[in-house]
Amino acid sequence: MRIAYSWLKEYIDLELSPEELAEKLTLAGVEVEAVEQFAEISDRVVVGEIITLKPHPHNSRLLVAGVDPGDGSPLQIVCGAPNIAAGQKVPLALPGAVLPGRGCLEALEIERVFSEGMLCSGKELGLELGSPDGVLILDPPAKTGSPLSEALELNDHILILDLTPNRADCLGLLGIAYEVAALTGAAVKHPPAEPPEAPECTAALLRVDVQEPLLCPRYTARVIEDLTVGSSPLWLQLRLLKSGLRPINNVVDITNYVMWEYGQPLHAFDFNLTRGGEIIVRRGRSDETLVTLDGDERVLDEEVLVIADAAGPVALGGVMGGESTEINPSTRSVLLEAALFNPVSVRRTARRYHIPSEASQRFERGVNPAWVAEASGRAALMISELAGGRVLRGLIDSYPAPVQPRRVMVRPYRINEILGLKIPSAEVSDILSRLGFTIKPEGRRLEVTVPLRRNDIFLEEDIVEEVARLYGYDKIPATLPRGELLESREELPERLQGLVRETLTACGFNEIITYSFINPTSLRSLGLPEGDPRLEAIPLRNPLSEEQSIMRTTLLPGLLKTLQDNFYHREMNQLLFEVGAAYLPRQLPLEELPDEKLRLSLGATGELPVANWYTASRPAGFFVVKGAIEALLKRFGINRVEYLPAELPFNHPTRSAVIRIAGEEAGFLGELRPQVAEKWDYPQPVTVAELDLEMLIARANLVPRVTPLPKYPAGLRDIAVVVPRALSAGELKRLIYEAGGGLVEQVTLFDLYEGAQIPPGMRSLAFTITYRHPDRTLTEAEINAAQARIEAALSKLGAALRR
Amino acid sequence: MLKKIAELEEKASREIEEAKNMEEIKALKVRYFGKKGALTALLRRMGELAPEQRPLAGKKAHDLRNKLEELLDRKEEKLREAALAARWEEERIDVTLPGAPFNLGRKHPLTMVLEEITGIFTGLGFQVARGPEIESDYYNFEALNIPPDHPARDMQDSFYFSPKILLRTHTSPVQIRTMELQAPRLPVRIIVPGKVYRRDDDATHSPMFHQVEGLAVDRGVTFADLKGTLLLFAREMFDQGQRIRLRPSFFPFTEPSAEVDIACIICRGEGCRVCGQSGWLEILGCGMVHPRVLEVSGYDPEDVTGFAFGMGVERIAMLKYGIDDLRLLFSNDLRFLRQFR
Repeated sequence: MRIAYSWLKEYIDLELSPEELAEKLTLAGVEVEAVEQFAEISDRVVVGEIITLKPHPHNSRLLVAGVDPGDGSPLQIVCGAPNIAAGQKVPLALPGAVLPGRGCLEALEIERVFSEGMLCSGKELGLELGSPDGVLILDPPAKTGSPLSEALELNDHILILDLTPNRADCLGLLGIAYEVAALTGAAVKHPPAEPPEAPECTAALLRVDVQEPLLCPRYTARVIEDLTVGSSPLWLQLRLLKSGLRPINNVVDITNYVMWEYGQPLHAFDFNLTRGGEIIVRRGRSDETLVTLDGDERVLDEEVLVIADAAGPVALGGVMGGESTEINPSTRSVLLEAALFNPVSVRRTARRYHIPSEASQRFERGVNPAWVAEASGRAALMISELAGGRVLRGLIDSYPAPVQPRRVMVRPYRINEILGLKIPSAEVSDILSRLGFTIKPEGRRLEVTVPLRRNDIFLEEDIVEEVARLYGYDKIPATLPRGELLESREELPERLQGLVRETLTACGFNEIITYSFINPTSLRSLGLPEGDPRLEAIPLRNPLSEEQSIMRTTLLPGLLKTLQDNFYHREMNQLLFEVGAAYLPRQLPLEELPDEKLRLSLGATGELPVANWYTASRPAGFFVVKGAIEALLKRFGINRVEYLPAELPFNHPTRSAVIRIAGEEAGFLGELRPQVAEKWDYPQPVTVAELDLEMLIARANLVPRVTPLPKYPAGLRDIAVVVPRALSAGELKRLIYEAGGGLVEQVTLFDLYEGAQIPPGMRSLAFTITYRHPDRTLTEAEINAAQARIEAALSKLGAALRR
Repeated sequence: MLKKIAELEEKASREIEEAKNMEEIKALKVRYFGKKGALTALLRRMGELAPEQRPLAGKKAHDLRNKLEELLDRKEEKLREAALAARWEEERIDVTLPGAPFNLGRKHPLTMVLEEITGIFTGLGFQVARGPEIESDYYNFEALNIPPDHPARDMQDSFYFSPKILLRTHTSPVQIRTMELQAPRLPVRIIVPGKVYRRDDDATHSPMFHQVEGLAVDRGVTFADLKGTLLLFAREMFDQGQRIRLRPSFFPFTEPSAEVDIACIICRGEGCRVCGQSGWLEILGCGMVHPRVLEVSGYDPEDVTGFAFGMGVERIAMLKYGIDDLRLLFSNDLRFLRQFR
């Protein structure tokens, strides 16, 4: 909400500057987001009075005015505006004035007549006032010769409030004035609100029937006749502009003006356009429609509260008026509505039709029931003064169950207990009185009666906050809680997630964080077969875009997107990982919360190491990702890991594996299938992996049992074999262990070669075998015998030994 | 004899001087000091001299022996030094060449900040708790004193899956879930890091972001304790001289509520562009746990009190690392990620 400092001053004496006021309000919980200067107009623009006016001697479309700049000696001004007349007060820009969007004004000849300045339109001053092609005509009380910015209070400061939803009371200047009063001790002054009343009785012309008192607890109406709709005076228009409201016509402007004062939304109907002298507040019917002020036709039903006349709906209660009874230039008679509407009902209606308004916002948060009649009187008074209407006698007021002020029992010691303070009771009472609360001591307790404008105070704790914020949050000391120590439940899962990140970053992988919602297209790009559970992704009902419309069932789409984005930046070497949840529904549509499974994804492309003067490059492919996974599993103390060739829909059919831990599937890794890579426009192969992090966490064993160091020396032997490519290294290794008969401690592949000197379809593998016995030194003969067994076993499989 | 000694001295000295390497030195030693060496022979022949000549000749010969030994030693030393110098030159490396590459990967900056925040509070005796990201309306709103059709729901525009299931808009539901499990045991002291979601996407809002929630419930927990805890946090997180400011605010699940500002870390409170000239930066919201929230979670608000706070991790990361565009944090752009350490 925007409030003009000069306007607020009408309701309370302010000794604070706008900035000081802003600071004080902010620290009391009414946050002032910014303080802005309303308009900056050159001091060389003054109030001029047109004394004489004659035609331009050489151009019939121009006039030559004699304008008094305040010193009694009129200046000669050439002007083309059609709306000027002698006796008017107008903005006069003198030479030297700088106007928005123009340079410095100079005296100059216009068609051979000297012009010593310029008469300005609102637009030329940068104000949305008056007509764009006419000079801005000032209100007659403006003092001739005074700077325009002074006369119109243009140098005013605007406080922009960022109100929390509980402080409905600050949605009006008077409410803010009460808040300021509590802070400064100054008194609040209400504006005059007693209209002069004509002898005719309102009730003779209008009957009000509230059929839904729960949705409309109070409805008041006045009728004002014989008025003239026109522009509001400039001062009023300016106040609206400063408040961020658009001036429309005097009647509508006054309803907005009074809403800004009291926080009470008002609506004016053209009374002559309502039918049957009757207002009925009732639910809509499904066969009814209403064209609202914005020109849209709204289909109604029982959910919507309408204001109807004898013939049908004329407004959506508390939300927006209808077009058929809109105030227009020929309106002569006005029905002025000031009412209370149910917050929930208004909120639903405003949301349903997507028409949040200043009025609905106030009703949703709660309007002060005590000011309804006063606001109506205030608006009626202003209409009679500014639009010349006659206010009929009596306010129709349907208010079957007047709202009673709430009473809250407060224990002053409890306030101190909660705050950790020692505020004396007297000070508590003082603070509450400054807020306008009335206090009645009852033993050690206080009975606090809350004024109706504060609809956010229900409980003792609410009073605690009131006391704290007026006492000053800055005066509350800083202490630390005491109490029992807790057993550190720090939580192996937390530590292990940290370990994943440490290990993988040590391997050179960079952590990414991608959105939990993904694009269905990216999920489809994986080419998963029908029935794959990963296709069962939970759709969002109201996604921001298609790209973020389903919850991921695998981390792959986010990984693939990241690879793609980085390729666009010409990052050819990427090592990535992500730790995050996959969301797996138990059924669709969702009826209960889904499973959230923690996953780990890895991606690699390019080279590792990247070619440099020291090392040759190697592809960052399958074996780099596998190496990182092996390092991680080792770090977790997880054994019994197998990598089995596997065909996955999105992976290269012969460069892909599933990972099994103790026989249970823990994830997969592999080169992305070229057809999938193509969909992502990848310039080179990428390798991906995804693991079930929860399984790794469950199987982690971070505390090793140390085995004694070997007492007896090991014997090392190398063996090199040429075998068909189909015979896997894993199988060979297994055979070596087996044939070694318990003497083999370790088998390490140290060379792999295929190419020249090796027959096609074959490859050469070389292992170092470590032999050791735990209880004695092995003899040469024992080792040789074991080695011979291994050679024999390998030969049987068609392996040729290389010597 | 004396002449012979003089000749030998002259010849041997020259030869030692001219020796080019250790082999030649070795040969010279043999030539003069060996069993058949010239000096050895000379000494042997001392007996042949007349007794009155012996003392002088003997002394001369011994002097010569000492002198040659010393010359040899010195030469040997010189040659060794020269050899080493040659070796060092041979083995010289260019120390300005880059080292062998050990390219460490980086943790995501949000992870680092999350870990740092969590670490500060676990150090204070808070335990890490987690909860589901896909949450029921009950835990996300109702139990937190945000009934349906309440204007406070506008503060958090949500992503829905069904009328009663949504992406959590804050980490606060974990407050309720934890208290429900633990009630009536005391104390409760948890810290909840996690992802949260709101229906906003612009330069200052991401539809997915991270929060850390804190909750402490016990007998006698006060607003002053909250302030002290957060001051300590701000000092650990930013710097030891950090000041904080609490401003009254509103959250449906706390009362009293506050927003917490830290003195601007760019201008130290002087006023700058980052803090909008105010000298303060808002970093978190907090308050005393609302009695209704305690009640629905199984605690008696007359018996216990509690405080809760919640902070946006992205905002803190942006302040800490001087990131001016929130979207960078979710770009996963390696040029950005590699800047962290």
